[in-house]
Amino acid sequence: METDSRNLVAAIRQSLPRAAWWAVCASLAVLFLYPLYVMLSQSLKTPGEAAAAPPTPYPHRLSLDNFRALGGDTGIDIVASAGNSLLVSLGATLATVVLSTVAGYGFARLRFPGSNILFYATLATFMIPFQAVITPLYLLLNNLGLQDSLLGLAAVYTTFQLPFGLFLMRNSFAAVPRSLEEAALIDGCGILKALVRVVLPVAVPGAVTTALLTFFSCWNEFFAALILITDQDKFTLPVSLSVLASGSFGSVDWGVLQAGVAVTIVPCVVIYLLLQKYYVGGLLSGAVK
Amino acid sequence: MRFRRAMAAGALLTSVALLGTACGGSGSDTPGSGSGTVTLWARDSQKSFINILADAWNKDHDTKVKVTVVPSANFVQKFGTAAAGGTGPDVASIDLVYLPYFASTGVLDDITDLANKLPYKDGLSAAHRRLATYNGRTYALPFTAEASVLFYNKGLFRKAGLDPDKPPTNYAEIISAAKKIRALGKDTYGYAIAGQCGGCNVFEFTPHIWASGGDVLTADGKKALFNTPEVTDALTFYRKLYTDGSMPAQSKTDTGTIQPALFQSGKLGMTPLGAFFLPVLRKDDKVDFGVAPLPGRNGGSASFAGGDEIAVTKNAKNKAKAQEFVRWATGEQAQTVLAQNGIVPVRTDLIDKIYTPLDPRYKVLAEAMEKGRTPYSTVENALFNDNNGPWVRMINRAVFDGDIAKAQKEGQQAAQSIIDDAP
Amino acid sequence: MTAPHRRTLSRGGRRRLTGIAMTTPALAMITLFFFVPFVMMLWMSLHDWPLLGQHRFIGLKNYRHALHDTEFRTAVIFTVKYTLVTTPVLFVLGLALALLVRHKRRGARFFQAVYFLPVVVGLASAAFLWLFMFQSDIGPAGDLADHLGLGSRTTNWFAGSTSAMLVVVSMVTWKVVGLQMLLLLTGLQSIPTEVEEAARIDGASRVQTFRYVILPLLRPTLALVLVFSVAGSLLAFDQFYVMTGGGPANSTITAVYEIYRTSFIRFQLGYGSALSALLMIVLAAVSATQLLLLRSSDR
Repeated sequence: METDSRNLVAAIRQSLPRAAWWAVCASLAVLFLYPLYVMLSQSLKTPGEAAAAPPTPYPHRLSLDNFRALGGDTGIDIVASAGNSLLVSLGATLATVVLSTVAGYGFARLRFPGSNILFYATLATFMIPFQAVITPLYLLLNNLGLQDSLLGLAAVYTTFQLPFGLFLMRNSFAAVPRSLEEAALIDGCGILKALVRVVLPVAVPGAVTTALLTFFSCWNEFFAALILITDQDKFTLPVSLSVLASGSFGSVDWGVLQAGVAVTIVPCVVIYLLLQKYYVGGLLSGAVK
Repeated sequence: MRFRRAMAAGALLTSVALLGTACGGSGSDTPGSGSGTVTLWARDSQKSFINILADAWNKDHDTKVKVTVVPSANFVQKFGTAAAGGTGPDVASIDLVYLPYFASTGVLDDITDLANKLPYKDGLSAAHRRLATYNGRTYALPFTAEASVLFYNKGLFRKAGLDPDKPPTNYAEIISAAKKIRALGKDTYGYAIAGQCGGCNVFEFTPHIWASGGDVLTADGKKALFNTPEVTDALTFYRKLYTDGSMPAQSKTDTGTIQPALFQSGKLGMTPLGAFFLPVLRKDDKVDFGVAPLPGRNGGSASFAGGDEIAVTKNAKNKAKAQEFVRWATGEQAQTVLAQNGIVPVRTDLIDKIYTPLDPRYKVLAEAMEKGRTPYSTVENALFNDNNGPWVRMINRAVFDGDIAKAQKEGQQAAQSIIDDAP
Repeated sequence: MTAPHRRTLSRGGRRRLTGIAMTTPALAMITLFFFVPFVMMLWMSLHDWPLLGQHRFIGLKNYRHALHDTEFRTAVIFTVKYTLVTTPVLFVLGLALALLVRHKRRGARFFQAVYFLPVVVGLASAAFLWLFMFQSDIGPAGDLADHLGLGSRTTNWFAGSTSAMLVVVSMVTWKVVGLQMLLLLTGLQSIPTEVEEAARIDGASRVQTFRYVILPLLRPTLALVLVFSVAGSLLAFDQFYVMTGGGPANSTITAVYEIYRTSFIRFQLGYGSALSALLMIVLAAVSATQLLLLRSSDR
């Protein structure tokens, strides 16, 4: 009898931390999801209900009007814009990941005189407000013949994502114990082979994080896309959405805006879910033995 | 093994992506060359009709007009940057308040002769024509018109015991009507403004000052008149609406996004807005509303003549065709297309033919537009439209904090120094 | 005699050359697309350079003017205040979340995904969303507060400087903390579990393990997280532009907001460039300090 109740108490005490953990995590999750719920419900309301005061907690009548408005009877092709965004974001992401991985390894392992200074100098890229360099950038792209081109935009995005990627990848490579590399080198691999076989798998989480963040930044970026792209056919998604969601005089069509945001989020979530597998997988398998 | 495949896939994707962007990017070398195209930039607030208009032109002409719709809030930066870099459009539809600035900086083509040759020259909106003139030369033609009027909720008027067909005609009547409507319920408000929006207030507030016989700038734009008695009266009028509780709390910080939405929700008695709002309300079909002219202190009325002008840029590649389009845009065909899409035409000689019959409320708008005025300034942006500039600060401080005299004095000082520092 | 000597040299030399080769593409890109415009910007800062019109060389006059510019000074002070509030909030919450989802429990990955979700929303989109949520009368957050008795539907959350700033801080926290959580997680995961277990076996409590074992090993990640977090806060603009419009009464104008006004509303690109250069100097100093303080001892 006593052992039973003691077991029960022990069982409860054992499961308390777990219950507490679940309670805390779940309440936080509600807090985090609430704004997204608001966004979704707002986008599915009829335009009249979307402007209601006080606001309705959920759409009383589901309506796709706001999404239809995105379809654009106004010459804005949202599918084309999404395609442009995809091209630019993927291009910049791949370029950033490749360049920062390669350079990150160089900075971490293959020191040369001045490498430290150069590395910290690249961080300067992050310390300038974009608004300050946008006009010189515009003129530069003009001179290079890259004005109004998605390639130019992708190049600009890559440049401004590089510092973060470099920092992250350098950190990742630096965290790999030299002993591992030395072992591989002694076994007769060249530097590149050592990189691929031994070091790269451990750097995968960092690379995936860099890829994710670069993609999201490029996908959502508005100001550079606005100034550097002039042809409406080449507008990226944020610019097109801004046009579609605006009323006159800075007034905002809240329903259409939220519908646009909802549409924007979907590819990001998909990419996150896809890459999350590699990310977690990399963590588990890349554990240092 | 898996890695090699991943790397290969990555390399392939990169090259495809870069190739794609390169291909996407190479089509922009020669816009508007030959008889080909005329590029036109319009603001997103015009998106509902600008393509219809371009299609109407493209149907009958060899040279095609290619429209690019630009976000309003950034139009000036984008156009300015492009003009500075020499890569702007051939034709641009520009908010008329910016005309003096762009004309003075030399990015627009001088079309004085074209303007003078128009047979209906005197039928075009006077306010637009004045703003497009710089040093005696004309740099744009009127394109679309906007007028500010008072929107009022007839349903709420009835409920409050007010006559829905007799809107207020002076400050006192607005104040009392707003109070009665506010008394209808916790969620119902009498009057709302966008207290943090410079453009909105120059559009909606200045007419009260004009109708009372005052002004905010001298006619040549060289002297600010913020510290004048008519401005004091108007600020006091707004202040009373606020202290009476007729205004919602958000009016203090609204940058223009909320004011229309509140009226749309049916919970607002009155608010000053523009012609652009009428089609929105009609489509919603939820609020029984009327429009009235914005009154002065003791009666009278005035309106802010807004809208766009259409101009040819100095660097246009296809000037002859661009000018032809600009001229066509003021003609009857184009203006009728505009009227049918809820835009007030700039042709005062045609307005009763193509616009007024479309809705009984349009008459008020047409009359407002004909009487409309616009301040002339080469530093309009820094002075009025800047949401953190002296105009907004003065109104916000006077109406919501209460120290009207101080707000006016500081506003006048700041405004005059911006004018004096202008190049 | 010299043969082995030469072999070592060339090996080291080859490493260095490879290092240079590997870093060159990234450096080249940054040089072309950042440093060139940056130098142009510095050049512009020495001019009276209106967006449209003639430029005039005026030397350091812009910088002298900036040091007396009260509006800019107010903006910088506010930016610092904002950074001092946001950085610890983000860091503590990010660390807490990382420690929470670190467990190999069943729900951990789900919660990790949920906390990270706001990161994929664009900053401007998030700003608009929260602007709407906290509007008086038509905003759901105000409505919720009303129902919970925490406030009234008619409160204008943006009417007071502090409350306006706090709403913005909340929005930024919601949007960014998932990223910090992820980065800290990566850092935590790279600490071998044997090290932690060894400390626990030696009798260290959870807190002690954390303070003396985990935290020092986390330093490189901390450096990354803090440097970019502080930089991001010092350069804040979009969230204030959208949500508060710099108000009430211009009290939430940040440094970059002021630069934006200078360059794109008053069209003074020269002066705007000077302000940007000054801001960058501040940022560089702050980042350098952070990196020095957080430098790993075993390098």
